[in-house]
Formats: sequence, structure tokens, C-alpha cells
Amino acid sequence: MFSLFRRVLLVLSVAGAVAGVLRLKGNTKVTTKQGGWRDTGAG
Amino acid sequence: MPQAVIGIIGAGRVGTTVARRLLARRDSEIVVYDANPVVARRLVESLGGRRQGIVVGDQDRIRTCTVVVIACPAPHARAVEKLAMRGCNVVSTSDDADDVRDLLELDTSTSVIAGAAASPGLTGLISRHLAAKFDEVDEIHVASHGTGGPACAQQHHRALAGTSIGLHDGTWLKRPAGSGRELCWFPDPVGGHDCYRSESPDPMVLSRAFPSALRITARVSATRRDRLTSRLPMLTPPHPEGGLGAVRVEVRGWRADQRHVEVIGVAERLARLAGLVAAACAVAVEQGKISGGVHVLGSTQVPNDVILGAVTAEGIRLQEFIGTSSL
Repeated sequence: MFSLFRRVLLVLSVAGAVAGVLRLKGNTKVTTKQGGWRDTGAG
Repeated sequence: MPQAVIGIIGAGRVGTTVARRLLARRDSEIVVYDANPVVARRLVESLGGRRQGIVVGDQDRIRTCTVVVIACPAPHARAVEKLAMRGCNVVSTSDDADDVRDLLELDTSTSVIAGAAASPGLTGLISRHLAAKFDEVDEIHVASHGTGGPACAQQHHRALAGTSIGLHDGTWLKRPAGSGRELCWFPDPVGGHDCYRSESPDPMVLSRAFPSALRITARVSATRRDRLTSRLPMLTPPHPEGGLGAVRVEVRGWRADQRHVEVIGVAERLARLAGLVAAACAVAVEQGKISGGVHVLGSTQVPNDVILGAVTAEGIRLQEFIGTSSL
């Protein structure tokens, strides 16, 4: 019984860690920027 | 002179934009069909109904239209074939690689435009616009960020799990979608995003429009979560419409015996871009500016300037990238 509890706890910990990494790192913000954009006035 | 009748299959985000744009011209009757009649009726009622020249129709009514815009989820190839056999001209907004391949292989005497959306579609128009600045174009690299309606979001999800195709030195290369990370800059406020290979029909479409191009690639932006979960069913239902998206086209080639690069981007909701491109194509077809057969945007047989002009007239801003000298 205790072993099952530990196993569930382990699975939950791993799932939580993966979810945390995805949540924190999923949307990478890029801070360096080269160049820019200007209207072409085309079309 | 009898009024032209334009049919729209699909009353989602793209279909709604097509209907609004065509209705604003006030010189054609619009027939809307959707597999869900409630959705079609809601769209027609929101745009004023019969007194404004827009009605709900069934499949038989759609088959009598001069031009039909297909703005429902892929596949479109079978429907296009049936409509073409009945003498309808068709504009397809499909962005599914297998579906577009089938569309490009159709043999028809009526006018069919395959991949008339944002990517493919607008990417071809921009590529042709940029090609005028080159003596010779040999590379086209496109990237897109964001999704339109729910069907587009599902297609984006599938595209990251499939096999991407790209043209490399004249040879078609297949690579796993979700690989090949590249940081692509889109016009503000979208900014920079990591983009990856995807199962996009854009290289096929652009290769048909630019047979001399030796390298053509297509990428979509994705997060780690997108890539990790791409092979699973979508864990959460897609949004009714994605936020601000963007499309970017980079053309490389020769100008005055020197290598030259031009980049143009557009920041806008992708469903609006796709709808405006499809509507402009429908108008061009209705006006007889496009000959019979299957065409792609960017091809020299299509009035690309006219279609791109109609899109930018709706407030879509083409922006060129002013990079560093090392670009």
C-alpha cells in the first residue's frame, strides 16, 4: 500500500515538474532585436 | 446583365470575412452554405439577410453559383472536382498539404485557385511582388505565426506532427515537422518567434508559381508545448479565433550580379488575411481575369497585383524588414 502511495507521489511529482517547465519555458520571449520594419506603401 | 452569384461554403471565421468583403461590393448575390445550418443562418442574419443580397442555400443551390469560395475545413479536392464538373469556378482556402496536392493535380476547364488563404495564398502574392525587384529569384522562405479559427488551429496542430516538405537545390526533401528551429522576426507587435518546419503546402504552391526557385521552405511558429503535444489529440479545445498573427516572406536571388535579399511581413489576424485573399480571388475570377485550369497565387497566369491591391485596400499593411548589413 505504501509502495503504491510512493509510486503515485513520484508520478505526480514528475508530471508537475514537466508541466512547470512547459509553463515557464513554453513561451520564450526574445529580447535581442536586429533591424526593424517599415511600411512599403505597396499594393 | 444578370447579377453574378457567389457561393461560400463554410460560415466560420474565413467564410465570414469573405461574405463581408463580397457584400461590401454590392454587385453580386451571396449564397452561404454550412454543414451546420444554424451557423450559416446566423451569419446571413448578422449581415442583413435577403434584403442585403445574402441568403442561406443548400448544396444544390451552391452548384448553380458562378464562383464558389470553399472556406470550410479541408479536404476540398473532391468538392472542387464536383463543382468544376458542374461548371463552377472555385476558390479553395485549403492549407492541408495532401489536399492541395490533390487540387493541383485536378484537370478542369473552369477556373480553380488552390491555396487562396494566408499561407499559402498571400505568401505567393508577396513573393511575386518581391520578385519584381530581382533579376532572378532562387530562394523563397516563408513563415507564419498564429492561427485563424478552430479548424485552422487544428490544422496547425496536425501540421507540427506530420512530415514537412521543402525544396533544396531542386530536390524535394522530407523532414519531420517540428524540427529545424529558426528565429523569425515578424512585424510589430508580433516580434520574434521560434519557427519550425511543418507539413505546409506552401513549398508545393510556391514551386508551381516560381519553377526556377531552387530552395523553398515553410515554417510555422510553435512553443515547446505545441511541439511536445503535437502527436497527441488537442488537449484543450481551440480558441474561437487566434489573436494577432503574422506572415513573413523572405526572397533571395540575384540583382545586378549581386546576391540580394528582400523580406516583407504582414501582422494581422490570419482568418482575416485568408478571407480577404479568398474574396479578392473570387472577384478576379468572377470578372473573368483568370483563365480556366488550376492556378496558384504568385503564378504569372494570375493578376497578382490586382489581388494584392484589393487586399491592401482593406487596410492590410505590407512591411519590409530593414535588417542589419549582415542579413
